[in-house]
Amino acid sequence: MMSGEEEENAAELKIGEEFLKAKCLMNCEVALILEHKYEQLQQMSDDPMNQVSQVFEKSLQYVKRFSRYKNPDAVRQVREYQLAEFELCVLGNLCPETVEEAIAMVPSIKTKGRAHDDDAIERMLNDLSLIKKFE
Amino acid sequence: MFYLSLIEHTLRLPPHLLHLSVDEAIKSELETLFLDKVIAKLGLCISVYDIRSIKGGFIFPGDGASTYTVEFRLIVFRPFIGEIIVAKLKESDASGLRLSLGFFDDIYIPVHLLPTPSRFEAIPNTRNQGRWIWDFGDAEEAQSEEPRFVIDGSDPIKFRVDSVIYPSIPLEQPENSKPFAPMVITGTINYDGLGPVSWWEEAEMIQEDE
Repeated sequence: MMSGEEEENAAELKIGEEFLKAKCLMNCEVALILEHKYEQLQQMSDDPMNQVSQVFEKSLQYVKRFSRYKNPDAVRQVREYQLAEFELCVLGNLCPETVEEAIAMVPSIKTKGRAHDDDAIERMLNDLSLIKKFE
Repeated sequence: MFYLSLIEHTLRLPPHLLHLSVDEAIKSELETLFLDKVIAKLGLCISVYDIRSIKGGFIFPGDGASTYTVEFRLIVFRPFIGEIIVAKLKESDASGLRLSLGFFDDIYIPVHLLPTPSRFEAIPNTRNQGRWIWDFGDAEEAQSEEPRFVIDGSDPIKFRVDSVIYPSIPLEQPENSKPFAPMVITGTINYDGLGPVSWWEEAEMIQEDE
């Protein structure tokens, strides 16, 4: 029997295992997505601010303020270093400058028997900062 | 951290949306259902990213509306334990700090997760408000007129997520209590590099001078 209370339908949300491994988005990627959406709304109506929710507007403000890169595709190329999705995103958001900072922010890059020695991490940080410099 | 989450949901299109195309009606209903809402374990829903498939359209007996099963992606904000996030100070009182991201502001740094040792300097004539000061360094410097490590909201604060809880909706709320928070982040700033960003910029500058 279908009930009218949509708010209580959380039980029907199928968030299976594979969905929980959702794709991480860096702040700069979210900024591009929300900005694009906002422009679409601008084309459709005279007053886009009327159409977007407070959370949308404030989220856009936040990600624009804390975005580090203009070209997230270049950052994703750094994936050759075999980082997990979320590790790459955290580093892309915070841009640590030294290997110690990177390990403090994302301890998992050094654990679990991964083939990541300090040199590899340092090369990766250099690549990330070069991307930022040449954007 | 922001995520793109793939969701499958079965929904009923209320009849007042029948004048729209199916795509538009479903998008509108999804936005009404999810935007600005917190779903436990999923996070705060920021925006519908796209609709991947729409199936169904059956009308159940006794119902005036059709039911669809929709597969779509949402942009959600879901912090993970250990994540480092930059936020602004919203409130500061004897029980600790409250921080905000603008779109989300149920972030608390309780007293025991402030850097040690810290002390609280109440602002006279205010109810419970004041600023926290980290007593780092030698005693004289810390007790001086303008202590060096103050948390006063003048710059962003980096914190590490200590826990995230999704309390269940209370059946009754006493009057004058704080509005219900469906997702609460508890953070810590008791580590190197955390706290107001200006604290650590100074440290870097000192190293360069040496």
